[in-house]
Amino acid sequence: MGAREDEYDYLFKVVLIGDSGVGKSNLLSRFTRNEFNLESKSTIGVEFATRSIEVDGKTIKAQIWDTAGQERYRAITSAYYRGAVGALLVYDIAKHLTYENVERWLRELRDHADQNIVIMLVGNKSDLRHLRSVPTDEAKLFAERNGLSFIETSALDSTNVETAFQNILTEIYRIVSQKQIRDPPEGDVIRPSNVEPIDVKPTVTADVRKQCCQ
Amino acid sequence: MEPTAESKFSDVDEYGFKRGEKFDYKDYGKFMDSYLKTLTRRRIKWESIIRENPELILNTKLKRYIRKGIPGPYRTDVWMKISGAEAAQKKNPNLYRSLLNIDHFIKEISDSISIDLPRTFPDNIHFDSKKERLFNILCAYAHHNRDVGYCQGLNYIAGLLLIVTDDEEKSFWLLKHIVENIVPQYHSHNMASLLRDLAVFRELVIKRVPAVNRRVEDLGLPYAVIASKWFICIFAEVLPVETVLRIWDCVFAEGYKIVFRAALALFITHKNLILECEDIAALANLFRDTMIQGSIVTDCHSFIDSMFSIRLKRSELESLRKVAVLNEHMSNK
Repeated sequence: MGAREDEYDYLFKVVLIGDSGVGKSNLLSRFTRNEFNLESKSTIGVEFATRSIEVDGKTIKAQIWDTAGQERYRAITSAYYRGAVGALLVYDIAKHLTYENVERWLRELRDHADQNIVIMLVGNKSDLRHLRSVPTDEAKLFAERNGLSFIETSALDSTNVETAFQNILTEIYRIVSQKQIRDPPEGDVIRPSNVEPIDVKPTVTADVRKQCCQ
Repeated sequence: MEPTAESKFSDVDEYGFKRGEKFDYKDYGKFMDSYLKTLTRRRIKWESIIRENPELILNTKLKRYIRKGIPGPYRTDVWMKISGAEAAQKKNPNLYRSLLNIDHFIKEISDSISIDLPRTFPDNIHFDSKKERLFNILCAYAHHNRDVGYCQGLNYIAGLLLIVTDDEEKSFWLLKHIVENIVPQYHSHNMASLLRDLAVFRELVIKRVPAVNRRVEDLGLPYAVIASKWFICIFAEVLPVETVLRIWDCVFAEGYKIVFRAALALFITHKNLILECEDIAALANLFRDTMIQGSIVTDCHSFIDSMFSIRLKRSELESLRKVAVLNEHMSNK
């Protein structure tokens, strides 16, 4: 979709996390294939899809990873967070418990993801107005206090899905391109000091691929 | 592809699953022309097998016949007998009923099962009427085995068992057999044995098809991403139903080794397609889309043949398992 699949300036790995049934897989399919499946199936293991977008004339290829929401699946997802530069932390605006569990997911990110990961809190299923149990303002305030960006989406009617991904990818792009001005890359493999290698650097395509997700 | 006017096949298969958009009716027609004849021959042979060996004692002959596929009408009985599930049920005949009579199901368990009910086989036209029974099986099992509780993925195993047996209690006992005897500790809270067997599987790929492993690792797709679902669901919701059932026939007769055979056969039969993948997305699509409906896996007969043409001994698997556990310990230190 959009730019040619094999040509890009940046490759960003973004993970979808959040409780079971909040709509992670449909957010992914809405963004990457413009599809929504009312007959959705429980995700087992890990899946992923890609889509390229343009920011400031640069092609950004987003590699978006989706996984089962059940807690025990964290056991097999060590590879899941490796190299991720962004996370969409999704809850269901009509199920309060999925919002309460956001704190648990934040801890999970703190324990397993890179400390600089960009996190966006996403209240999904905004089409379920009559069933809303998480007020927008409350979630917004929570996001501000925790330094997260925030958006409400509906994978079903497409509201804000494009914006959510555009925003997080743009935010990552800004951070990465500023960092490059500050610390110009040496050679084609660059690692931030002290942290796990995190693939946010533009470099020759083949190297980006090798590095991004072992 | 749509079923055309001249197609002999409807867009729903014999188990009630809607065929995928990319389903190749022409290819399938060719395969079924010969497979239907095989099915008829096989059913006649099974009539005599059951007359000869009514208790279905697992001997070489029976094993050979099972590898060729158990005919649909006999499948439930044969699975119950050869797996030992029937014997287990006889020893504890009231277990299932007593589990259903538990006063209060634990809310966390019943809630997580309820979330998955509408998300289990939504593409099966008969399944809506089975959801209540699926809930009972999963809830009863989760309360019976608290180490496992409810693990996502069991919905697909139990769902397919229910489609085949059309019997709640038998599905429960077969599910219990799979989770506890075939692949123990795959579905428990730390999924320890699943991690071990994914590592074993990788070793097998390195040994048998090293070029494929290099490609997969160069493209950077972790084995956990490729094969977790294969192992967790024993290929339910991964491969075409008929192929899954043929694999399960052998799993109930021969045990966990079959799971490795099937996984390895997938890599071997798709070797060229894997080597042709240029990037990680193409590789992920191959495993997700092509494998569930491509002709290699739809032709279950040839696929099962390719599974059994692989050299694989239990002793090799057991020693690889030991190494995997040691490595795991070392990396945790």
